[in-house]
Amino acid sequence: MSRITLRINGKAHSVDADGNTPLLWVLRDHLGMTGTKYGCGVAQCGACTVHLNGEAVRSCQVPLAGLAGANVTTIEGLAAKGGAKLQALWHELNVPQCGYCQAGMLMAAADLLKKKPKPSDADIDEAITNLCRCGTYPRVKAAIKRAAGVAA
Amino acid sequence: MNDMSINRRSFLISTAVVGGGMALGLSSAEAAPAAPWGPDAASGAEFSAWVEIAPDDTVTVRVPTPECGNGAMSQAAMNVAEELHCDWLKVRVAFASIRRDFDEKGSYQTGFLSFFSGHSTGKQRLKTTLQLGASARERLKAAAAARWGVPASEITAANSVLSHASGRKLRYGQVAAEAAKIVLAKEPALKPQGEWTLLGKLSPPKLNIPEIASGKAVYGLDVKLPGMVHAALLQCPVHGGKLKSHDASAVMKLPGVRAVVVVDPARTPGSPVKPQSTFGFGDSLCQSGVAVIADHYWQAKTALDALPVEWDMGTGAKWQDAEAIFTAAKALRDKGPGRDIKKTGNVAAATGKRVVEGDYGTPYAENAALEPLNTTALVTADSAEVWTNTQDMAQAFWVAVDETGLPPGKVTMHQTFMGGAFGRRGQGDDLRMALAVARQYPGKPVKVIWSREECFRQGRYRTPIFTKMRAVLDDITGLPQALTGDVGYVGSRPSFQLPLGFSDQPYFNSGVIPNLRLTTSALPVNVLNGAFRAPCYNSHAFIVETFIDECAGAAAIDPLEYRLKLLASWDKSWSDCLRIAAEKSGWGAKLPKGEGLGIAISCWPVANVRKNGTVVAAVVRVGITPAGQLTVKQIDTAFDCGRIANQDAVRAQVEGATLYGLNVALNEELSIRDGAIIEGNFDEYAIGRMADVPPINVHFGALSGHDRLEIIGEAPVGPVQAALGNAIYSAIGKRVRRTPIRKADLSWS
Repeated sequence: MSRITLRINGKAHSVDADGNTPLLWVLRDHLGMTGTKYGCGVAQCGACTVHLNGEAVRSCQVPLAGLAGANVTTIEGLAAKGGAKLQALWHELNVPQCGYCQAGMLMAAADLLKKKPKPSDADIDEAITNLCRCGTYPRVKAAIKRAAGVAA
Repeated sequence: MNDMSINRRSFLISTAVVGGGMALGLSSAEAAPAAPWGPDAASGAEFSAWVEIAPDDTVTVRVPTPECGNGAMSQAAMNVAEELHCDWLKVRVAFASIRRDFDEKGSYQTGFLSFFSGHSTGKQRLKTTLQLGASARERLKAAAAARWGVPASEITAANSVLSHASGRKLRYGQVAAEAAKIVLAKEPALKPQGEWTLLGKLSPPKLNIPEIASGKAVYGLDVKLPGMVHAALLQCPVHGGKLKSHDASAVMKLPGVRAVVVVDPARTPGSPVKPQSTFGFGDSLCQSGVAVIADHYWQAKTALDALPVEWDMGTGAKWQDAEAIFTAAKALRDKGPGRDIKKTGNVAAATGKRVVEGDYGTPYAENAALEPLNTTALVTADSAEVWTNTQDMAQAFWVAVDETGLPPGKVTMHQTFMGGAFGRRGQGDDLRMALAVARQYPGKPVKVIWSREECFRQGRYRTPIFTKMRAVLDDITGLPQALTGDVGYVGSRPSFQLPLGFSDQPYFNSGVIPNLRLTTSALPVNVLNGAFRAPCYNSHAFIVETFIDECAGAAAIDPLEYRLKLLASWDKSWSDCLRIAAEKSGWGAKLPKGEGLGIAISCWPVANVRKNGTVVAAVVRVGITPAGQLTVKQIDTAFDCGRIANQDAVRAQVEGATLYGLNVALNEELSIRDGAIIEGNFDEYAIGRMADVPPINVHFGALSGHDRLEIIGEAPVGPVQAALGNAIYSAIGKRVRRTPIRKADLSWS
């Protein structure tokens, strides 16, 4: 067991857990922040995507041990980090179906738009590798393009 | 509790004052009066009304309709709002108590139905929800009329405001409490569909999206309770096998571990009363397994992975691989005779010279909803409280009663949001396994999570179907003079060996094929089959529409024209769907080799009745390199579900279901080794991602305007699969008779 202090959505949290515990389960079970989802546990689906020190990562693959002093943004903190417009577009364009993958989709989309404010279709295809079983991909793409102000 | 108005002998609407507003309840006219739900509703306790109007005008609609992503929950609220004439922005939607059906003696069966899926526009639910809205509106008008001393007929209700020609106005919330005391002489008549202003006119997004997009929506996996512990579950890798031994002492000292418990199917206590489950329990039985309970899930999973376990794999281990199962199923089918499910004329009498034959097949596939199966339960000596996400609340409730052995009145159940389902959460085996674990750790809420690997390997898979088709074509018309179809189902669960998409299709019911014989056989195996988005239809549609394409080819008739000829005497909307999808896709243009268009059409559910179900035609455009690299370039679909209530919600379902079917046809297949499923995660089971998605054009021009507002989430899964294979044939001349298509050699020169 080790005690690690990290910043999540701008607030310091001290966590006492096995250093191998993935950030995903630290967020969900230890800190009760359940917006970040478990879908596969093997970095395939992207439902657990968060921003770690400003980069989108799959939190199921990030052990707690290396997170001392890290800055993490989760879906719960996305609005305060400039994601409110994206979230509003998700509503306006009726993007989610079941919605389970959408926290991860939004975190991946926000990361893309930060790096490429005017992404092409190919940029979106390359950056958004999250899985959606409901098939919301056309709407995710449309919402990203609307947010970027590029033609649909 | 106030008046009880009898409405068309089917249900009663009752009212009560709740929290200073009005609440409307509903119960069976035949049953005893509804329990006094009113006073408890404001505190959010077990009993709650279907519709509540609060003093601040907020309208809360409580539904037993699960929300698996199809918008069924929001649709129910939209139906209420259509007649209530309230401000849509003030409408909220929430889940009704699962036990309510039991407590109110069948109120779900009366009007709302607890069954999953998009049936919120189904006849019974639509009527019920519209009536609730109309009833509330007329009571509000009557209350305002009483206050102002004017006839209610002079009052208009719009946008949550009651108005009189004199200029007087009241908000709904201002008179809601008085409205709850109004006794209506009779329930108001519903507006004709032509006067709807919301349904079919506006397309509001789902009401729960702000919660989803902010991470606040509570799915089953997100339930948090004081003192909650977590369990990781492992069932016998070969379905039907048994736990032989395990060594709990090897993991009990690992961090956080509290207990190791064994699930033994023989120890299910059974319901103390006659259960009223929707489907019975045959598809929900416990499997032999073991679970580790720990403070946190990661600890439980880590300990489970370290737990020494030995299995008695049972008789299912004899199946070396899936192909061995399928070969046996085909042998059984070919040995015949199968069970006749349709027989007309004499197939042996046909004399045409051209004979078309093919053997088609679809393998095991996993629903793969993105939220892993899970349930949280707090079981004590004399009660149980359960948090789950189920596609059928009545089924889930009775499974919980059966697995705890408690009287139904002692089982409380809460529905949560659902991270997809596609048929997997309908029978209740997921929550039964959770209860079998949780009841062995009483007094603490236990969240039982099936890992992704467990979901893949302990599925209730798509029923594999292997069908041999044969037709003798008429020498003059080219249409089948005689046709035989022999279906070989695989799997021990007869509830999911369905002829939908096969013998119900109009080709076999319109009389266009004079001599017909369709048969089925079934090979029981250990691997559990179950519901998979549009069960069996999703395979039959691929098979039938591929075969019809082969008949068209043999008759040297364009595949679109051929289908139009076959369907000429059936509902016009079938032809409309075909023509519109084809026209929009650029059908008929000369394409270079390596490019092709394919078409297919089917209808779910129940197509042998005219003006029934949702008819979908799909045209797929493909490009294939000489090396065999396949690109799906575009999909055009046209459909008829009668009318639509929310155009954008329908578009979303058609897009999603089309992509689901596309992936099934292209990629999906589970493998078997010695009776056990091999694939365990998405790195071994391909689901299309953003880069794989072609443009999908959804065309609304074939809508007939018939008043049925049929469900839309299943039908598109079928035709796209056959259209894809037919496009490949058109592009390179190779016929695909077996999915997944990714395994086919598509090279050409």
